[in-house]
Amino acid sequence: MSAHGDMIKVTDGIERVVHWILAGSCLFCLITGIGFMYHSWSFIATFLGGPYAMKWMHIFSGLAFAVSFVYSFFMWKKDCQFESQDLQWVLKGGGYLWNVKDLPPVYKYNAGQKAFFWILVACAIVIIASGVVMLNPLYYPVVMARFAYMLHAGAVVLLGAFIVVHIYLGTAGNPGTVSAMLTGYVSRPWCETHCPRWLADRDSWKPGGEKDVA
Amino acid sequence: MAEYIKLIDVTKCTGCRGCQVACKQWNSLPAVDTMFTGSLQNPKDLNYNTWCLIRFDEVEKDGKLNWLMRHDACMHCETPACAKACPSPGALTKNENGSVVHNPAYCIGCRSCIVACPFDIPRNDKALEKMAKCSLCHDRIDDGKKPACVTACPTGCLTFGTKEEMLKAAEKRAEKVKGVIYPANPHYETHVMYILPGTVGVEDFSHMNPHPKMPATLYWWKNLFKPFTLIGIAGVAGAAFLHYIIKGPHRVHEKKEGGE
Repeated sequence: MSAHGDMIKVTDGIERVVHWILAGSCLFCLITGIGFMYHSWSFIATFLGGPYAMKWMHIFSGLAFAVSFVYSFFMWKKDCQFESQDLQWVLKGGGYLWNVKDLPPVYKYNAGQKAFFWILVACAIVIIASGVVMLNPLYYPVVMARFAYMLHAGAVVLLGAFIVVHIYLGTAGNPGTVSAMLTGYVSRPWCETHCPRWLADRDSWKPGGEKDVA
Repeated sequence: MAEYIKLIDVTKCTGCRGCQVACKQWNSLPAVDTMFTGSLQNPKDLNYNTWCLIRFDEVEKDGKLNWLMRHDACMHCETPACAKACPSPGALTKNENGSVVHNPAYCIGCRSCIVACPFDIPRNDKALEKMAKCSLCHDRIDDGKKPACVTACPTGCLTFGTKEEMLKAAEKRAEKVKGVIYPANPHYETHVMYILPGTVGVEDFSHMNPHPKMPATLYWWKNLFKPFTLIGIAGVAGAAFLHYIIKGPHRVHEKKEGGE
């Protein structure tokens, strides 16, 4: 028994640090980006020291987002490979939309989490690549630069909406989940509900559950 | 306040570049070192310190050489793409008199206006991180004067007046010299108009967009993605709240009791 009682470690320190750099820089970019997009919301820029200061904050925050995104892509891509059972999970709405009896047992991440990961990957690639073009838009053909501005905003429509889903399902929508990204530990019943196959695997590695398997 | 138009009758231009000098003088723009590049066009392009420029072109048409000179500066669009793209309130404003004016105090040097402009007019100063372009001498207009370039023009190529006056004058002159009015697209209104000689086409002039229009990418960005960013975030947040109060959160213990 560790100091955490009958809690199970699901994330390690690196994962949590990278997650919060990614999340923090992403939210900061989203808020400052909204400050740029809507003139009526320019109070965001006023609050941060004016639009010129906010421009550089947005760029440096975007840099942090890009670096943490690349790291998290290689860190989580293996866990987020789709498998045949995921379709079943999706067809049953993941148990979120209506009552489901026999949800296919999930390994580490369910199909929804995997889908969010791949949407993040797609949007982040578009946002980072277009952001690089927007950093020096006059170095590129004008059509390319124009598309960069459009795609930068377009990918945010998708990513912004999915971030809200991610925040809801990680906090209020699934009580007991948020600690996975704060302390790294969740309860055993939580694991039995959300990642039963992974839990069985973990227990088989070392009965008693002391081994760090995250 | 009346709406004004600057009319550029290319058939009357002699390429004296008086407008270029007057523009520099009125707007206190320093001269820049230039090089002779085989043409009277000097400097080679518009820049942060050169808001108007006579462009010289030599075009052979039907065995005849046409020596073209054109006063090139901001077109002062009715719906300016630059101002639409600008993220900093006050940096680019469209005025009632028709001018589209930049204010360096609010410019953050993002260059999105330069990318958006269908006429490729705004220029960036790298060191200052500011854009600059012709302001139609809005300060002179407010004072009852004509723009500096128009005042300096010795041949009557550049004229300035109210919108109604100038549209009428343009039609009359175009008919007389069998020329064409540019921009011809009635859906793309500008506060600078050209009368081009009928002997050559729009495409014979360098740095002239034959089909000026708001870039489609800008339309998608500002008219579609902009509202949908907040609609998406607010809509999903609303849906999450409804899920919470109707279906309820996915509780671990409840599920165990029900399932087993």
